[in-house]
Amino acid sequence: MLSAAGGVVLAVDEAPNPWIDPSYVTSNWEPILRYLGEHVRLTVAAVVIGALIAFPLALLARRSRYLAGPVLGLSTLIYTIPSLAMFAFVAPVTGLSAATVLIGLVLYSLVILVRNFLAGLQSVPDDVREAARGMGYGPVRMLWQVELPLALPSVMAGLRIATVSTVALVTVGVIVGHGGLGQLITGGFNANFYRAEIVTGALGCVLLALLADLLLAGVEKALTPWTRRARA
Amino acid sequence: MRLRARTLLTPLALTAVLATAACGSSGSSGTGGGQASGSASGDACAPVAGDQLVVLRDDKQLQNADNIVPAVNSATATASPAVVTTLNAVSAALTTEDLIRMNAAVDVQRQSAADVAAAYVQDNGLADGVSGGSGPIVVGGSNFTESTVLANVYADVLTAAGFQATVQEVGNRELYLQALRSGQIQVFPEYLSTAADFINRLPDVNGPDAESIASSDVDATLSALRPIAQQVGLIFGAPSEATDQNAFAVTRELADQLGVTTLSELADACGDGSLVLGGPPECPERPQCQPGLADTYGLSFASFTELDAGGPLTKAAIQQGEVSIGLVFSSDGALAQG
Repeated sequence: MLSAAGGVVLAVDEAPNPWIDPSYVTSNWEPILRYLGEHVRLTVAAVVIGALIAFPLALLARRSRYLAGPVLGLSTLIYTIPSLAMFAFVAPVTGLSAATVLIGLVLYSLVILVRNFLAGLQSVPDDVREAARGMGYGPVRMLWQVELPLALPSVMAGLRIATVSTVALVTVGVIVGHGGLGQLITGGFNANFYRAEIVTGALGCVLLALLADLLLAGVEKALTPWTRRARA
Repeated sequence: MRLRARTLLTPLALTAVLATAACGSSGSSGTGGGQASGSASGDACAPVAGDQLVVLRDDKQLQNADNIVPAVNSATATASPAVVTTLNAVSAALTTEDLIRMNAAVDVQRQSAADVAAAYVQDNGLADGVSGGSGPIVVGGSNFTESTVLANVYADVLTAAGFQATVQEVGNRELYLQALRSGQIQVFPEYLSTAADFINRLPDVNGPDAESIASSDVDATLSALRPIAQQVGLIFGAPSEATDQNAFAVTRELADQLGVTTLSELADACGDGSLVLGGPPECPERPQCQPGLADTYGLSFASFTELDAGGPLTKAAIQQGEVSIGLVFSSDGALAQG
């Protein structure tokens, strides 16, 4: 009688369900690439937009201690909102679009970026600034040619942390259907715990974060040749 | 379909009872003693681990007729009437057996939802005889196997009818229904009664305190649903014969220990309130979940554990003895394991 139910009686554990299954990756190459592409696009866009917003905020916070408190406090406050709740708050406004995820990611990147940018700018020694002023540097030229290069290690450190944390956060976007590789992770959970799918999503996130971090470390090295010369 | 699910599951539950009655006789006096002292101290219905899940029969018909029915954005349906006629053709063909088979193909045989849907459309000739479509259309699918498969079936058939259909994975109903109303997604494979009550209780319809308009009667539910759906900009097509509704499962060990096969019997056996319920996070608010069990059956729970909607977490939690009873879906292949 049980066999009459056909293929349905296959038990959960009777079916092979290995953690690592290369055939899953080869036979699902197309959707994996699509999710990976979305993951990369969301991460890059979030960090770039986040940096563009964080930089003026850091300048503002440096101007006066009265502004530094609210700016840092607000970005930290946003960071404490659970990501699931954040996307649920934003979703009614922007709908089930990638923009919903992007807004959340940008807001979360701010706390890391503003703090690191600010720390970088504050790390510029006063006598360097004074010397530059003495040489006739205006505020804009001083920012671009003196302060920013000296703040670069801290700025890049902020970008690296923000990128890695954003790669991980993108996955929460599954609640609006734009979670990049997170779609594979929840998809695997919902498809009777399909381990190969879950591992592909999770491992993809880890590799992507590592790769992005290495890439930015390379960029940092290329942009700050003096740090190497000093050490040599 | 309600009948069909019961006829499938009841013999299974019976065999389960018979099988353990035979082989469990040596230990039964021991468990009996434990149970007796347990009810005195109020833990008669505490979780018991076991591999086999048994669905307790919904003898007071708490669960409504959750037939698969296409929900379509009104503006889309008016602009292209072919959407509804095409999806009605799917409804005419779809049965619960199809659902179970497709779920098992994805969940057990590990095929991709898109492949399973494409094969189903091909095997049943659903792509033949549909026409009249043009332009892009987005089909939403919730992120669980059945919804994803159905969304792909809808998309494949709509593509065959001439639309450029794509599938958009979405999260829970609170989010996607808004997107469906606003036209961000245009089509969604809905569950009749769940959708009817959800829409009825929207703040801009009858409010969260409105009486349920869903019942185990498909036609009554549909005729109650259609006018209010129109009001919020949605059109519902023909419901299919196929249904997938909530069911409550325990381990065979617990069912045998208590000697229960229905939810009413469970309520009688568990008057001490020692049951631990597991289900999706929204279960304590959903009328077909915890409140329904309390009102219809008089079940009381020691605690509620947040798991998933009939997914691997819930099934594992029941099997591992973390919860006594959990919400599963009646079309889940894992329930039939022998």
